[in-house]
Amino acid sequence: MTKIKNAALHMFKVLWQPFLAIFLGLIVGAIVILIVGHNPITVYITMFQKSFFTLHYLLQSLTRSVPILVCSLAIVASWRAGYINLGVEGQMTVGSFVGTLVAVYMPGPTFVVIIAAVLCGMMAGAAYSLFAAFIYDKFNVSIVISTLMMNYIATYITTYFITFSLRDTSSVYAIQTKEIAMAMRLPRILPGKPFNLGFFIAIALVILLMFVVSKTKFGYESKMTGLNPVFAQYGGVKKTRVMYSTMALSGAIAACAGMLEIFGIKFRFVESMFTSTGYAWTGLMAALISGLHPIGAGFTSIFLAGMQVGGQNIQLSTGIPVQVATLIQSSIILFVSVQLFANWRKKSKLKAAADSKKAGDE
Amino acid sequence: MKHITKIYGNGVLANDDMNLELAESEILAVVGENGAGKSTLMKILYGLEHPTAGEIYIRGEKQVFKNPQDAMKSGIGMVQQNFMLLPPFTVAENIVYGNEPRKSRFLFDRKKAKAEVDELSERYGLGIDSNLVVEDCPVGLQQRCEILKVLYQNADIIIFDEPSAVLTPQEVDSLLDTLRNLAKAGKSIILITHKLNEVMAVSDRCIVMRGGKHIATVKTSETSTKELSAMMVGREIVDAKIPQATPGKTVLEVNDLVKTGEAGKPILKGCSLHVNEGEIVGIAGVSGNGQTELLHTIVGLMQADSGNIVLDGKEIGGLDVRSIRETGCAYVPEDRNTMGCALKATLSETMLMAHQYEEMFNHKGILKHKTAAERFTALLEQYDVKYSTLSQLSGELSGGNLQKLIVAREMSHHAKLLIVSEPTRGVDIGAMEFIHNQILKQRAEGGAILLVSSDLTELLKLSDRIYVMYDGFINGELKRAEAKPENVGILMMGGSADD
Repeated sequence: MTKIKNAALHMFKVLWQPFLAIFLGLIVGAIVILIVGHNPITVYITMFQKSFFTLHYLLQSLTRSVPILVCSLAIVASWRAGYINLGVEGQMTVGSFVGTLVAVYMPGPTFVVIIAAVLCGMMAGAAYSLFAAFIYDKFNVSIVISTLMMNYIATYITTYFITFSLRDTSSVYAIQTKEIAMAMRLPRILPGKPFNLGFFIAIALVILLMFVVSKTKFGYESKMTGLNPVFAQYGGVKKTRVMYSTMALSGAIAACAGMLEIFGIKFRFVESMFTSTGYAWTGLMAALISGLHPIGAGFTSIFLAGMQVGGQNIQLSTGIPVQVATLIQSSIILFVSVQLFANWRKKSKLKAAADSKKAGDE
Repeated sequence: MKHITKIYGNGVLANDDMNLELAESEILAVVGENGAGKSTLMKILYGLEHPTAGEIYIRGEKQVFKNPQDAMKSGIGMVQQNFMLLPPFTVAENIVYGNEPRKSRFLFDRKKAKAEVDELSERYGLGIDSNLVVEDCPVGLQQRCEILKVLYQNADIIIFDEPSAVLTPQEVDSLLDTLRNLAKAGKSIILITHKLNEVMAVSDRCIVMRGGKHIATVKTSETSTKELSAMMVGREIVDAKIPQATPGKTVLEVNDLVKTGEAGKPILKGCSLHVNEGEIVGIAGVSGNGQTELLHTIVGLMQADSGNIVLDGKEIGGLDVRSIRETGCAYVPEDRNTMGCALKATLSETMLMAHQYEEMFNHKGILKHKTAAERFTALLEQYDVKYSTLSQLSGELSGGNLQKLIVAREMSHHAKLLIVSEPTRGVDIGAMEFIHNQILKQRAEGGAILLVSSDLTELLKLSDRIYVMYDGFINGELKRAEAKPENVGILMMGGSADD
């Protein structure tokens, strides 16, 4: 009983902040919808119906959430250790590009090719982010800047290859690679719907990361490095080793995000497919809203994906521009970063601490 | 000023029916252990908290303070333990902040600000250059800056909350002078502290608090540190009888350590020392003479330019922190907040540090949380740390409890060499006694202990041998029987033992 209660309490601790922010964000959105001249309540009802509360749209939202969710995990992994990796977009681009190429061009039995593709993709993503770690270690180049800039490099280099040597020439207009074989695609769960196994792989990754973060020595050491690097070093944690492993992990997860999208939905690498969709940045938002907690990031990613799907659908049915949905999202982010909550939280924490001290004195 | 009376008692009983009177030009000390309710009482006086019952009178007039601004208007100022200064600005700018003199409606009158601050500093003998940028000032000067800030707001009653906790002995001396000057100039001062020698040195009267209650009010001239500490703790503090040390074989040997810092400034100029089993070796010295760097070099946080370090027969110079710890070294760092813990980590995470690679807590990279929780609960119990759950954050513990936790964590290594730096800085008498006993216990079990402390009393009490550091080298070595405050003091200032 107490176990369930504790678990519920823990979940509440993880989730109350995103929920509050979401609520306030919706209120701001309501004001904007009023200004545009619609009834916010009916618009919200439509939006939620067309994102979560009908099976068709729910599956659409969940499908959309996969790359966002996995990107948010990549952010969680690196930011927890204090390494501000802004290059998830670039790492997913490079990683999934390499993965797709292996899947398309490598001969051999399907099973072997899939494994090789996934491994090569993850290694490529990891290597790409490791390069940023390396130039930080050796030349003190800020990871924030290097990873951010490497996003552009990744986009344009892949674009170069698929424009020229690796282009699928069967289409005159689209700049893209060849499709991967039917047998390698992630199986769909329901006939006729794009929803596929990828979602469950993403959930498995949440659990896996949760395990790494809370149960392993590596997770412990990287969290301590993030909280206080001097303390970690004092305790014998090798800072550079933690940095390299954390960045590699983050890059590998980012590569998974891209590959899940390609192997599940698109089946090929298309020019700037991750830049235009902004998955990495939505994932970044989700990770930040949930305070870099893997499970919180999972829920928030699904919610943000639903907002995007719902936003597109209200545009179709009511004519309210999709930008309103984006606006709601952005106000949620702002509400999360508002200092007010932090202070309120701090106060209640201090109070709890004072209470416990008094209790201890008796 | 006639008097302030203040009576209140509330459910949680942070303060129980406290009375406090303060006369003009008086220095009143409020002493008590951590959690005795001193700070709460002062927060009420300063308007940061509201009394459940009771009243405050200033010069016979009843006052109700809703917030610190109200208290300030009535002439009450507080010098906080944590300075509230803007580091990139100058002293003068910091002091006038909030009440800036203006040229016109919008323009800040920098010249006038400086003149006013200089005048104030002159009048109270604070001797501070108002052009200095705060972040370049040592802690002692920053504190004077805080005092000036309070004076600038025309405070007549100044509350000092543990002012010496962050200062070096020299800075403490000049702080005490400042307090005397302020009182002479007609200000009334309330000094909250648990350092009794400071109380004896400056205060006129002294209020002792324990468990939120008023225990006694005594004239300082009619009491002694011994009596005060007995009243604070509620029992007689017996000076631990320290048995003769029986040193065994050498555990740590440091030979001719040289280290040059940034910009070619020499930090260590050839230090040699050794520590034996069953022996406490102290390092005395004014802080900043290379002690910290020496310890950091031994534990592997820093690399020496030349010289060698042998721990338990193994050369450890150039090894990393973990290897050195595994060779047999534990370290209680001088700064518990920046190095000893992560304030936002939970208690169990803080306690796990440097234990996370031990087999007891780690099975092939997977941490054994359950074993750890059991072990940590027992350990915290044993070290009498007051906490609510292992998942609370380290920053929520009081300083003394956090220090005990860090000491517990490091001592539980049972390492051959225990390095302890400032083990009792900012902790109360009860905790200090406890930590001292733990160190002595470790010695009795054959541990070798290297102790660095800026508290000379502590150093002389515990150390079987003392090295005195001055300007990056060892300026002398004294056995327990030879070491007296006078001769250690001379060596600390760079003199020679024969003087």
